[in-house]
Amino acid sequence: MVYLRLIAQFIRASIMEETSYRVNFWINLLHSLLNLTTGVLGVYILFAQIERVNGWGFPAALAVLGVYLTIQALRNLFIGPSLDILAGMDGEVWSGNLDFTLVRPVNIQFLASFRRWHLFALFDLILGLGVLVFAVVRMHEALTLPNIGLFLLTLVAATGILYAILLAFSALVFWSPGVMFTWIFDGVFQLGRYPLGLYPGWVRLALTWIIPVGVITTIPAQALSGDLSMNQLALILLMSVVLVFCASLFFKAALRRYASASS
Amino acid sequence: MTSASIQPVILVRNLTKTYRVPVRESGLGASIKSMIKRAYSEVEAVRTINFSIEAGEMVGFIGPNGAGKTTTMKMLSGILYPTSGDINVLGYIPMERHPAFLRRISMVLGNKSQMLWDIPPLDTFRILGEIYGLSAANYRQTLDELVGLLGMEDLLKKPVRNLSLGEKMKCELAAGLLHRPAVLFLDEPTLGLDISIQRRMRDFLKEYNRRYGVTVLLTSHYIADVMALCPRVILIHCGKLIYDGELQGLAQTLAPFKLLRLTLNQENASVGHFDLPYSAEIVERENSHLTLRVAREAAPAAVSYLLTSFTVSDLTIEDPPIEAVIDRIYQEGSV
Repeated sequence: MVYLRLIAQFIRASIMEETSYRVNFWINLLHSLLNLTTGVLGVYILFAQIERVNGWGFPAALAVLGVYLTIQALRNLFIGPSLDILAGMDGEVWSGNLDFTLVRPVNIQFLASFRRWHLFALFDLILGLGVLVFAVVRMHEALTLPNIGLFLLTLVAATGILYAILLAFSALVFWSPGVMFTWIFDGVFQLGRYPLGLYPGWVRLALTWIIPVGVITTIPAQALSGDLSMNQLALILLMSVVLVFCASLFFKAALRRYASASS
Repeated sequence: MTSASIQPVILVRNLTKTYRVPVRESGLGASIKSMIKRAYSEVEAVRTINFSIEAGEMVGFIGPNGAGKTTTMKMLSGILYPTSGDINVLGYIPMERHPAFLRRISMVLGNKSQMLWDIPPLDTFRILGEIYGLSAANYRQTLDELVGLLGMEDLLKKPVRNLSLGEKMKCELAAGLLHRPAVLFLDEPTLGLDISIQRRMRDFLKEYNRRYGVTVLLTSHYIADVMALCPRVILIHCGKLIYDGELQGLAQTLAPFKLLRLTLNQENASVGHFDLPYSAEIVERENSHLTLRVAREAAPAAVSYLLTSFTVSDLTIEDPPIEAVIDRIYQEGSV
């Protein structure tokens, strides 16, 4: 309850901070539309040449893109901005401002993960979900309640996986303050725009077991269209729980390396 | 009195902190080389220090830049892990960062801000109230009192980035005291502030300590802060504790010299060559006014010599100014 009330306060303060720069709204709107256009164009150009790739057609690939945009929006809503305060450019680890965070009587990982909200990302979330629904409708699949339920469940699990990866990458900053480790992940995450099945076998394996960005986007899309197997459901749920647990342990260990900044 | 109340609030035993810092030569070649193989050296920031502080004490923690003051303070507040030694603050081990411990301490840093920059201070205070689990009534009452004491009614609704340095420091202090900590770590709270704001801050801290008995550990390079607030000082140099006691005692017992200020009669005033007794040295000379520095034990004999050799119209024996003593200790590294 305390944590929910805190999240409400963080959201309130973040809205106040974001609205103090009016031009931000228009820049964010433009960014969202550009992101959507380039994403859809990429998939459209590919499937304008060929009807199916490894069994994947245009609407199914579009659904994966929809999940990718939705997950990106969730990331930009709070995970990304919050971790940026910690490990981003001029972040707290680099500047030494983590001193204040460390003397708060609340869970440090919670503070590091939820304290900054970028509410403009809600617009991206709507666009992402819009693409997803459009794609499912194009597949001539009915949006049944069980499928929507499974989709939401896998979406939460996928967000958990993404969060765990970003938390672990951010924690690397304690070894080398000022280095943007999450940028390495961003390069790989781009591959999640397309269905896992589109890639050759070894890439598919890497995107499932090494950096599971394929799992993050493909499985929720399959859940919504009713193509989800029990194995896939078990995989994403288990992976999410294990990765969040491991990333939390890693983050806790990394905190011990904090050397602050000199006065 | 219960046994808990006589327990020191802060107890430090054999505390040591060693940092491992990267070493890199200047120049492009060295930069590239350091990417492949990085060299490290170990820096002992704090070397086996011991002290204890009782409840309600205001203690000045002084020493030259890089002495290890801030590092020690950060270990006491649980921010940094000690390399070895024991710390007990309010019955807790700080590095465990127990929430009950963190609720009873606070840290205010003169060179860093805990305020949210783009919004008014009131909104940062509101978040802090939530973080420390303050009830609405408790929050309101404490805030009103702090705002009154600090005279910051008109600052509450301006974005922090538009406030002056002094106004920001008032906000930092209010933010740090909102949860009524029992121990307050103050690291250079008057850094960069003008004289009247500095005085106001000191008055505030004194009054706050009187009202609530908060234990304060203060680092400051402004000796005026320490003189005004701290009857006791702990002096560290190169990570070693070299003095722990009264501030005045530092000058009285540890400065190895006295200052003799004398005014010579006009007939002696033009004396060009001055036979200095007992290895005394002239610190200052302006017409007939002279200031001599003489070894503490030789001071009585030197005075006697001066009075018999010259016609002296005025003579005073003083301890050197505290700043001069501290400067000397900083430079020599020992007392």
